[in-house]
This record gives sequence, structure tokens and C-alpha cells, in this order.
Amino acid sequence: MIQNFISMNGYGFFVWLSFAITFLACGVVYYKTYRTLKKYEKDFAKELSQLSEAEKKLVLEKSKVASQFLASYNKSI
Amino acid sequence: MFDLINPSRIFYWIEKLINFINSIFFILLIIALTFALVLSPPDYLQGDSVRIMYVHVPSAWIGLASFTVIALLSMLSFIFKIKNLNIITKSIAPIGLLFTCLAIITGSIWGKPTWGTWWAWDARITSMLVLSIFYVLFILAHKLIEKEDKAIKVSNIIAVIGLINIPVIRYSVDWWNTLHQPSSIKIDGTTSIHPSMLMPLMLMLLVLLLYCALILLMKYKTEIIRIKKKNIKRI
Repeated sequence: MIQNFISMNGYGFFVWLSFAITFLACGVVYYKTYRTLKKYEKDFAKELSQLSEAEKKLVLEKSKVASQFLASYNKSI
Repeated sequence: MFDLINPSRIFYWIEKLINFINSIFFILLIIALTFALVLSPPDYLQGDSVRIMYVHVPSAWIGLASFTVIALLSMLSFIFKIKNLNIITKSIAPIGLLFTCLAIITGSIWGKPTWGTWWAWDARITSMLVLSIFYVLFILAHKLIEKEDKAIKVSNIIAVIGLINIPVIRYSVDWWNTLHQPSSIKIDGTTSIHPSMLMPLMLMLLVLLLYCALILLMKYKTEIIRIKKKNIKRI
């Protein structure tokens, strides 16, 4: 039964190759996107932490995104 | 209405959506794969090679839909000058390219046992290849043109011109004699596919759409952070 499942009545090579390429490509894209996002998050958080208290307050007041980012980033670490 | 696509509003939901998709993704993937590889029956003509359809068809649909969305958002961006739309189109483009390439590759693999050849300069296949070229041009415009406004203009023009190719792909199997079979599922919802094959097809489509949403959200978040990082000094 397992042999039949793997060979797919002679079409196994084509079926498994299609699924493997699809999921491998999706996996690689996911990994690269995730890594890039984490790198940007880390750099942005570092840059925010290097600001003086007054500058930080100004940035967080002016940018809703920055304050939301900082809140979620602090929660995640 | 346009306040709904304000980055700060979307940013709030991104993390929640990413967590939600992550929590259901693998369960749905296992269910979809079980249906596609085990429970669905082989085709009476094509045998088990028909299972390639479960990755090929959703990939092609996503490739086409992504470009249509990019082109429509580009037009809206032209008219209303909403910068956020350009961030969205820029985030969708790599996903569309990925799935267009996957549709071409899995179609080629399916072609070997079905048609006896890996490749033919058939109307459907060639027009899909043209679509992938439009995706590459769109992405290259953003990567190679340094002035952001110019890059947005050029990429929007590419998207609008590329939109002409979408109906060509859709109707290529009706307009020309092609190796590719005619559509089994019509836009109006009528289908010639048996429910035992339609169910895994829709499940795989759902899983791949969730994957697209996940990548789109991560790419969008990256873009927003990149812009905010650039603006930090200006503030």
C-alpha cells in the first residue's frame, strides 16, 4: 500500500516533484521574508533605543506606527 | 474610507493576523494534503498525475489574481495618489511572481506525462511566461530606480500595460487551438470537476491563500518599518 502511494501508479516522480518544488519554494520565500522582517525590526528598535528621551518622546508622539511597533516589540522580547 | 488603509491602522492588525494565520496554517495544510494526495480519486484518463492539479491550478489563479490586484491598485494610486497603495503592490509582487513561476514549472512537470513534452510554445503557457516577465519588470523597477517617485510611476505603468495580458491568459484556450485544456471552473461558478476533486482543490487554494496573506503581511510590515526608519532622522 505504501509502495503504491509512493509510486502513484507510475506517476510518483511527477506528482512528488511538483509538490516538493512548490513547498520548497514557499518555504524558502517564507524563511527569507521572516529573516528580513526580524532584521528590520531589530535595527529599528536599536535606532529607537539610541535616541535621547526627548527625541524618543517626539518620535513616538508623531508616529503611531513607531509607538505601536515599540509596544509589540517590547512584548515579544 | 481611505483612512482604513492608513499604515498605523493596518499595523495594529498585522501582528494579530500573523499570529492567527500561524495558529491554523499547519492544521489546514495537513488536511489539504491528505485530501490531495490520499483521499481524492485518480482521474479516469490521467490517473494519479491529476494530483499535480492541486498545486498547479491554485498557483496559476494566485499568479493571475495578484497581478490583477496590483494593476487595479496601481490605477487607484495614479488617480488618488495614495502612497500606501504602492507599498501594498510592492509587497504583493514577489508573491505573484513566485506563484506564476510555480504554475509554469508544475504545468511543465504535468505536461510531460500528459502531452509527452516538458514545454510547448502554446498560447496559455506563453502568455503565462509573459506574465512572469511583467512581474520581473515590476520588481526590477522598484529595485533599480533610485528615485522613489519615478520608481512608483514606472512600476505603475508596467502594471497597467501588463493588465492587457490577463484576459489573453484567461481566454487563450478559447481563442487559439492549444495543448492546454479549457477551463474546468468558470468565473460564474459553474464547474465540470467532480466534488471529490473540487474539495481538495479548494482546500489547497485556501492554504496557499493563507500563505500569501502571511507573506504579504510580513512584507508590508517590513516596508513600513523601512520607511519609518528612514523618516526617524527627519522627525
